[in-house]
Amino acid sequence: MLQRIIDLLFEFREYVLLTVLVVVSLGLLALNDNPQVKVLRSATSVVFGLVQEQVSFIPSYFGLKGENAILRRQNVEYRDEAYRMREDKLENLRLKNLLGLKEESPRRYLAANIVGKNLTLLRNTLTLDVGATDSVREQMPVVNESGLVGMVVATTDNYAIVNILLNTDFRASVKIQRSRVDGMLAWDGTTLMVKNVPKTRDVKPGDVVMTSDYSSLFPDGIRVGLVEEVQDPVSSLFKTIKVKPSVDFVTLEEVFILEHRLSEERRALEQRVMEIAR
Amino acid sequence: MRQQEHILVSVVVVVVLLLLQSTFIPLISLLGVVPDLLLIWLVYIALRRGQIEATVAGFAAGLLQDIVATKFLGLAALAKTVTGFILGYFYNENTTEATLGSYRFTLLVLLAGFIHNLLYFFIFLQNADEVVLVRTIGLSLAHAIYSAVIAILVMFLFSRRFRTAAFE
Repeated sequence: MLQRIIDLLFEFREYVLLTVLVVVSLGLLALNDNPQVKVLRSATSVVFGLVQEQVSFIPSYFGLKGENAILRRQNVEYRDEAYRMREDKLENLRLKNLLGLKEESPRRYLAANIVGKNLTLLRNTLTLDVGATDSVREQMPVVNESGLVGMVVATTDNYAIVNILLNTDFRASVKIQRSRVDGMLAWDGTTLMVKNVPKTRDVKPGDVVMTSDYSSLFPDGIRVGLVEEVQDPVSSLFKTIKVKPSVDFVTLEEVFILEHRLSEERRALEQRVMEIAR
Repeated sequence: MRQQEHILVSVVVVVVLLLLQSTFIPLISLLGVVPDLLLIWLVYIALRRGQIEATVAGFAAGLLQDIVATKFLGLAALAKTVTGFILGYFYNENTTEATLGSYRFTLLVLLAGFIHNLLYFFIFLQNADEVVLVRTIGLSLAHAIYSAVIAILVMFLFSRRFRTAAFE
């Protein structure tokens, strides 16, 4: 076999010699760093690449074992890298959501950590590590990157208590984002619901529920949750709309207190109208 | 031994021609166009020794020329290797002397010059401002013609030498 190859090479020795010398010349040219040569160099790379591609199967027969080991090691490295990238992506998403919430609104937020949770009663509350000395006042809305958490109901110098959505004392004026239907958000002890929505209004499962402009406590446009179920009970004029809150209260660890104050002018006007009505 | 002598003589000739090429030849340049003495010698080698030696001689002479004269290492080597190989097809030991002493030698120098310079300038003029192809062909022709003109003198030398040898 070897002899046959040698004979073949000898038979075409002129061409073999030419090829070798041309390759050596091109190799020498590749050592140059002139712009003219770069064009030739790139063309040479293409030609060499094509040749390499055609003969790339040769080493795979002789070095399958080594190649397999390299590929296995690379596979582990890539898997590890993919895992780390996934972690980074999740972290990035969470931080982006936090920042996005801030960027979308000129409102001021005060970050707070949850130091206590009470999620087993009808009046579920959170205890935050900020208080009156941090300018936290009662009736301030509390949010996180997912949406509305609740409202501050009591403060001491360094702590604040928050009534979360899942509290029978909690109320919020809300609207259905798609159809702009208004209602009142309340928790009956087992289910979060949007109340006072007539049966004729358009509400569907999957609709987004947000705080309404009509609220005197919450700024509008804060996400509250998704409509989970819509019923039209025979005995009532209103729909029964079950809502799944956007916030996961079980895993909640940090929140933002929104420094939202209703306009004094609006507050005075509304109060005056109420007094006249009485 | 004869082979070694031949190689040694070739090396000496190439070095001398290179010296002439870099010292004397620039003095007779016309608008930057100069004859290529090494190319004329390469035609001689191809007609005398055949394709393999012409290919190797082309590479060696070109490489030396690259080292001494040009700024692209490998460019003249590439051009002269290919030219030497093509010239090898004109080798015929029965008609060598007749070819060397006739106009065919001049025509071969012209052909070799054109092939060599076409290859050489095509690479050399990459990224140039002018239209590369037109300039390449023009320069190739100009250099080849000038080399062929010088080859006429060489042809007369060979012609006289072979005629004298025939009478003797």
